[in-house]
Amino acid sequence: MPGNNGAEPPALWRQAFDAAEKYVAPRLESVVRTDQFAQATALGLKAQAALSNSANAVAAKLWHLVNLPAGTDVLRLRAQVGALDREVRRLTLALEQQQHAKADERIDDATADESGGGARSHPPRGRTQRPEST
Amino acid sequence: MAVLDRIRHEVERNALRARNGIKLATGTDRPGVGRTPKDVVWRSGRCELWHYRTDRATVSPPLLIVFSLISRSYILDLTPGNSFVERLVDAGFDVYLLDWGVPDERDAENRLEDYVDGYLPGAINRVRELTGADQVNLLGYCFGGILTLLHAAHHPDSPLRSLTVMATPVDFRHMGPLGKVFALGGLEVDAVVDSDGNVPPQVILQGFRSLTPTAEVTRYVNLWDKLWSDDYVAAYQAMTGWSTDHIPFPGAAARETVDMLLRQNGLVEDRLTIGGDRVHLADVRVPFLTVLAERDHIVPEPATAPLIDLVGSEDKHELRLAAGHIGLVVGRTAAKTTVPTIIDFLLSRSEVTT
Repeated sequence: MPGNNGAEPPALWRQAFDAAEKYVAPRLESVVRTDQFAQATALGLKAQAALSNSANAVAAKLWHLVNLPAGTDVLRLRAQVGALDREVRRLTLALEQQQHAKADERIDDATADESGGGARSHPPRGRTQRPEST
Repeated sequence: MAVLDRIRHEVERNALRARNGIKLATGTDRPGVGRTPKDVVWRSGRCELWHYRTDRATVSPPLLIVFSLISRSYILDLTPGNSFVERLVDAGFDVYLLDWGVPDERDAENRLEDYVDGYLPGAINRVRELTGADQVNLLGYCFGGILTLLHAAHHPDSPLRSLTVMATPVDFRHMGPLGKVFALGGLEVDAVVDSDGNVPPQVILQGFRSLTPTAEVTRYVNLWDKLWSDDYVAAYQAMTGWSTDHIPFPGAAARETVDMLLRQNGLVEDRLTIGGDRVHLADVRVPFLTVLAERDHIVPEPATAPLIDLVGSEDKHELRLAAGHIGLVVGRTAAKTTVPTIIDFLLSRSEVTT
């Protein structure tokens, strides 16, 4: 009944579920932590991948027979575009880092000339990208 | 009378259950997540640097948070009043967060070095550029902690005032069934990548679900039991929404993680290579705090416990909390212990202006 010392006893169905869960959960958790479970899962996923690769290979051969690109060709092209995109990003980041390093050197030189000591902070520099509200 | 009271009570609750059930099923009353006002101040590829707006930043240097590669960063800013970021902003920190966005086929070749040597220094530079500070306080969460550790180790001259990592695994032998499938089962990442070349979110989700096989059923039972409570349903929507909302893991980074961090246990065995260079955690020399959760089922305590002995910092501390993986940043433990301890650690290594 509600209001019994402020605490409400769980319903019967809930007590039954909790008891079952208390019994089942640790056992299931110990099963999924076994080496055998890991090996079986890995085997299943490998088999799934192998089947998928075989199906793709057959489909690719069929498309190539009629001189058309297969899905795997498109994927390869997408991967190459992705790799190119990554190279551009890396170059952009490297360029930004070089600009920052040069700016740091200039500020350090100027501060050393003015005070003869190492600076801890400097005023904000110019912004290269505009903030956007989200 | 008692029977009548009980019947009335159950009828009331079932009416509330029906109302909240309809709201849940139709998705008409989703809680707003990630609401702390912010601006995008830097962008590279899918990656964005967010600055949380504040007019009361009193702590210098600024704080840069680096999030995990496989989940959404809004867990750190879940809901108003239950937000890790909001607490830090309220404490006077100038908070920036590096969000990785949603990787697609253009990110499939991203390696760990892209994050450690590219995006992270880029974000640090941008924060320094905006604030005028010479250094930043760096904080990494979960896999973001690994990225910050690798960055600090690979770039000992990086302008870091301090490094804090939370729920960050280093001993991958203890990463449970998910790790075993790759380490013992010999599964290759290529067997699970999708057409984009990334590990799809469904694989990551199934991996996490396998850690607690009955949790899914228990979750629904708990929901039915407490469906009458508006507060519970709101919290359920926010938390469940996040815990099932993973993002793809870039394929090349996943391969490196499995080979170097999992199979070779590189962080513990000192076998780390980033961008062709050998990297040693002992080269991390900045003031260091590691926060670990003793009831963490995703990153178990034995997986993260060795970290404190691996870094070379003289000023290093470990905070152990009786919490779960998410409990570190959300809920009562976060509010009462995690956030205040992190704030104290950072404040004592920062300058506070009035």
